[in-house]
Amino acid sequence: MSAVLKPKAHFIVCDGNEAAARAVTLAQVDMVAVYPITPQSSLVEYLAKFVAEGKLDAEIVDVEGEHSVLSVLHGACLAGARTYTATCGPGLAFMFEPYLRTPGMRMPLVMTIVTRDTLTPQSVWGGQQDAMSVREVGWLQIHCETVQEVLDTTIMAYKIAEHHDVMLPVNVCHDGNYLSFGATRVELPDQAEVAAFLGKRDVNWHAALDPDRPMAIDPLTGGSGGPGPALFVRYRKGQCAGMQNSLKIIEDVHAEWGRRFGRYHAPLVESYRMDDAEYAIVTIGSMTGAAKDAVDEARDRGERVGLVKVKTFRPFPVHATAQALANVKAVSVVDRSVSFGWNCGPLYQDVIAALQFAPLRPPAMSFIGGLAGADITTAHFGQVIERTAAMVKGVAPGGTVWINEND
Amino acid sequence: MATAYNTLAFKPEHCDGCNACMTACVEVNNAGSDLLNSRIQIVADQDNAGGGFELAMCRQCGDPKCVANCPAGALGKDAEDGVIEWDGSKCVNCLLCTVGCAFGGITYNASAGHVVKCDMCGGDPACARACAAAGKTALKFITTSRIYREVGDLEDLFVPGLSGCQGCNTELIMRHTLRRVGPETVLAAPPGCIPGMGAVGYNGLTGTKVPVFHPLLTNTASMLSGIKRHYKRQGREMTAMALAGDGGASDVGFQSLSGAAERGEEILFIVVDNEGYMNTGMQRSSCTPYGAWTSTTPVGERGQGKTQDAKNMPVLMMMHNCAYVATASTGFMEDLYDKLDKAIAASKHGFAYLHIYSPCTTGWRFPSQENIEVARKAVETNFVMLWEFTPATGLQLSRSLDEALPIAEYLQVLGKYRHLSDEQVQHIEASLDRNVAFITNLTASRSSRPAHAAAGM
Amino acid sequence: MQQTQYLIVGASHAALAAVQAIRMHDPVGSVTVVSKDDALPYSPTVLPYVVSGRSDPTGVFLRDDAYFSKHQVNYVKGAAVTGIAAAGKRVSLSSGEEIAYEKLLLATGAAPLLPPIPGLNAVDYHVLRSLNDAVKLRQALGEAHHAVVLGAGLVGMHAAENLSKAGAQVTVVEMQPTVLAGYFDRDAAAIIEDVFAAKGVTLKMNNKVVKLSPRNKTGAVVSLADAQQLDADLLLVSAGVAPVMDYLNGSGAKIDKGILVDDNMHTSAEDIWAAGDVAQARDFFGAGQDGAKIINGILPDAVEQGKIAGMAMAGDPALKGYPGGVPLNTYTFFGQQAISVGSQNQGVVVALEIDRVQRRYLKIVMQDNRLTGIFGINVAFDPGVMWELILRRIDLSAVREKFLADPQRTARLLMSRTWR
Repeated sequence: MSAVLKPKAHFIVCDGNEAAARAVTLAQVDMVAVYPITPQSSLVEYLAKFVAEGKLDAEIVDVEGEHSVLSVLHGACLAGARTYTATCGPGLAFMFEPYLRTPGMRMPLVMTIVTRDTLTPQSVWGGQQDAMSVREVGWLQIHCETVQEVLDTTIMAYKIAEHHDVMLPVNVCHDGNYLSFGATRVELPDQAEVAAFLGKRDVNWHAALDPDRPMAIDPLTGGSGGPGPALFVRYRKGQCAGMQNSLKIIEDVHAEWGRRFGRYHAPLVESYRMDDAEYAIVTIGSMTGAAKDAVDEARDRGERVGLVKVKTFRPFPVHATAQALANVKAVSVVDRSVSFGWNCGPLYQDVIAALQFAPLRPPAMSFIGGLAGADITTAHFGQVIERTAAMVKGVAPGGTVWINEND
Repeated sequence: MATAYNTLAFKPEHCDGCNACMTACVEVNNAGSDLLNSRIQIVADQDNAGGGFELAMCRQCGDPKCVANCPAGALGKDAEDGVIEWDGSKCVNCLLCTVGCAFGGITYNASAGHVVKCDMCGGDPACARACAAAGKTALKFITTSRIYREVGDLEDLFVPGLSGCQGCNTELIMRHTLRRVGPETVLAAPPGCIPGMGAVGYNGLTGTKVPVFHPLLTNTASMLSGIKRHYKRQGREMTAMALAGDGGASDVGFQSLSGAAERGEEILFIVVDNEGYMNTGMQRSSCTPYGAWTSTTPVGERGQGKTQDAKNMPVLMMMHNCAYVATASTGFMEDLYDKLDKAIAASKHGFAYLHIYSPCTTGWRFPSQENIEVARKAVETNFVMLWEFTPATGLQLSRSLDEALPIAEYLQVLGKYRHLSDEQVQHIEASLDRNVAFITNLTASRSSRPAHAAAGM
Repeated sequence: MQQTQYLIVGASHAALAAVQAIRMHDPVGSVTVVSKDDALPYSPTVLPYVVSGRSDPTGVFLRDDAYFSKHQVNYVKGAAVTGIAAAGKRVSLSSGEEIAYEKLLLATGAAPLLPPIPGLNAVDYHVLRSLNDAVKLRQALGEAHHAVVLGAGLVGMHAAENLSKAGAQVTVVEMQPTVLAGYFDRDAAAIIEDVFAAKGVTLKMNNKVVKLSPRNKTGAVVSLADAQQLDADLLLVSAGVAPVMDYLNGSGAKIDKGILVDDNMHTSAEDIWAAGDVAQARDFFGAGQDGAKIINGILPDAVEQGKIAGMAMAGDPALKGYPGGVPLNTYTFFGQQAISVGSQNQGVVVALEIDRVQRRYLKIVMQDNRLTGIFGINVAFDPGVMWELILRRIDLSAVREKFLADPQRTARLLMSRTWR
């Protein structure tokens, strides 16, 4: 175990927002654009503080709204800057116009979504509805389980985003309230090692606004006739290829992170006690801790239950998910958000679609919990496990279960 | 080498035949008192009820036939000031020069015994001075040539063949501003007429020789903020410049513009105000004036054009205490150029905002050859006021607001006001009076306070 | 062998206008100008003024070396063209050199005609063909007591005036009934003749030299058709001019009185243009496309034709074809001004004012209320404006009376509303 506790190891106690801010500092970004919103505010406050204290040599641009937050970073990125920001909920909604445009411009921005449920009803609490609402925009979306994972993943996100085979923006998501304000011990990597890990920034080699390399950024394309249609398809296909390429890059980067820093995080999906599992529950984000406890308790009772945590949600790791669930006879998916179109959880939709590639095509159920800051307790997961076990015994899967409905 | 020369401009409609110019000419040339000896001849069309005046004088042609016709080398066009000079020591009095001139600009003068012609008084024509001194505006010495001489050799940084509507002066604004700002520039052209003309290019091809981009309609100032800040951080000199329409600046783009101005971002932000969303089909913007027809404020049984006054964007920007704010018009290019230079300089240390009023032949419904004249009328009626602002000097008028032409002279040339009722015209007049008083007050309140330098003395 | 893109033979107004037009459109194509004179370009029109002493022979040049170097023009002096090999696109020069061209402009002008008078070759006489001739005549001026001028055209009349002013007894002999017959009618000519007579110049119109005999040293004994004999210590032959086209064999260019050209000044030979006094081009007053072509032979038209030829050679898309030659001229004599614009005999005389005492004359000719000619002595009007009215065939019916009453003022009022 001495490999983990390296001589340079430096531990602090911090919450997820500070961990993200420290990761950004370690990534030595050039520019941060900030606008406050609960529960993200302390994250950008930390960054402003680090800049004021001289710990981070970056431009802090205090803009007048999230729309400009992302727009400033677009400009900076095209000028060659490594950039960062964070937002959530209504802020994400307000920045939607430039947000929508970011992946098409192939800009390797990194932005934390400190997930928050969306209006209305009015709420300032956690919930992944904001992130899930933008899942088809073309950003990579990676969900963290722990504060340490927030720190490590935020740094890794730059390496993934800036990889020439990817060149796409990355949302690192951590759950509002739970991870944003939950303080734990985390290990801070060494600055020099992080710099070596990330390498030289190279964010606008393909598309730049640089007087030394004049080019038109985003001239009008498409329409019918002329070169427009084919050109447009080429751009779109390139974007999709970048997304698919990223699956391997995410795995490679996580592996390298493990080698360099001794912490191996599952890159796409994590299988927990799945080796001989007869059935499984699928989770995302910080709820996974309680879910693992519930799985442990069930295992203690002799249940052959396992857990699959989805870390990389966009692009969706279809084959990794199918493979993780290849041998189970029933699956339950717990979402912290809602798919209004299907009356189920968004993750559930993706999982059952991925199960088309699993040989047993097991029955599955959708559970929705933890909306607007509600807890999903070990007991709640116990109920999920119980219901899943029933499916193995032949009870037909029911409709969506709203976990906190009777709390 | 770019050549252009100062010139005398004659507006017959402003002439009343007072002969001040001719009197001044004979006086300055010691040619007695006979106005026939004047080298500028105002010819009155006496039988024409509307008056009507014609000008017979040397046009200082670019390819002068009088010079080509001279067998004695007595005539030559001065390369420096463009004046066609007559050399009495060489002239042989053959009069062949007079055959070459279709403007009565070089004529035999019996009392002088040789041909005479205008020599522009060495660069300060007495006739134009006399016209102004007599309180008239018929003859003006136009000195805008210096602009061309200064910028004519600068590279035109747009591609040839931008596809504006016939008569549009936005292309003029674009080419002139960008060549002045120069190649060390990143240009933002938010959706509107400017990229519509091909400024950003199509299908992977560019429309300029500088880095150019389509921001969103909403985020021009923000994107430029990011660009400029990063280059500044790297110690690289460059100009972050926007050529935006009034819609993108005053409506949906106002938030980001206001934010960047408040932060004092080092940006050159030029708004080409054609009073609406002309590129998308002439819809109303908040810069559309009261009463104007647009496709979303149409005229019909119950609609009579826009029912609200225009938002005064440049004043709003001034209230951000920008490093520089100015209004300009393509009808007054010298003024525009002065302000462009100041705006460029100000953008090196703060937010510079230049609001250029730009008549739209298509959307305002007037003949395409009238564009500059419409721009001029807008200013001459005070509908548009030319001023500039810096935090140190406050608001200063670039042109007197006194002795404005009646607003009707502006309204009647534009199809978009054709439907106006008397009440609507009265509303416009009242608004205009209010605006003039408002701007005048801003000037007055400033000048009543002693400047720092003066106070210290 | 030298090669050039544009070769211009001749170096007077047509040639220089062509060079300018070429350079307006093509700043780089190689241009060569060949002049028969061993001098910088000058105008034949200035020669009478060199004779009179008004012009300093060293100050009459229309271009200097700096001009040619600035515009990258190769100026070849003292070389007359001797032949054209159109097939090989080459021109041979009197120097023995050959120049290969892509496009050739013939602007060789006109030279004085020597009439077939018996004895001409045996006597001492002057012509006014070159700057050297002018300097020579100027030198002879002071010593002449009895001068005879053959021909009452512009050159002859200028010379007569100069000789008279220098103190000589001058006789002008002319076959035509009046002086300056090409430009002024009998009435106008009479006023001019009055002025000359008053200055003591003898004008022998309707007359002719039948024989010339040598006398001691300078001049000749001149025998006239009316049997009179004049003892002239200075004889000037100024009996008109003819185009210089003795080098044209081998060019394939069709000729008549001059080199025939179309409205772009192109000859019938490929890549060969002609302009100026050597060219025979459309007559503005001629009938239709195939109307008779004329040699207009005046300086402003040489400029116009040279410019058209230059633009055509350079492929300038702004080229507008030649509208046709309009006869016009200006003539100043003993401080008087005579101006002739247009044709004497197209249409009808609509105004005629003759005052032999005040030496004032005005004649206006119109056809269908369009100006075709205006002629004046000591009357102020703008010949350039009138020329434009004629060329544009401006309908003057609305202003006819005003125009007749005050042509200068009325024509000026039409300027801006008609052309820019």
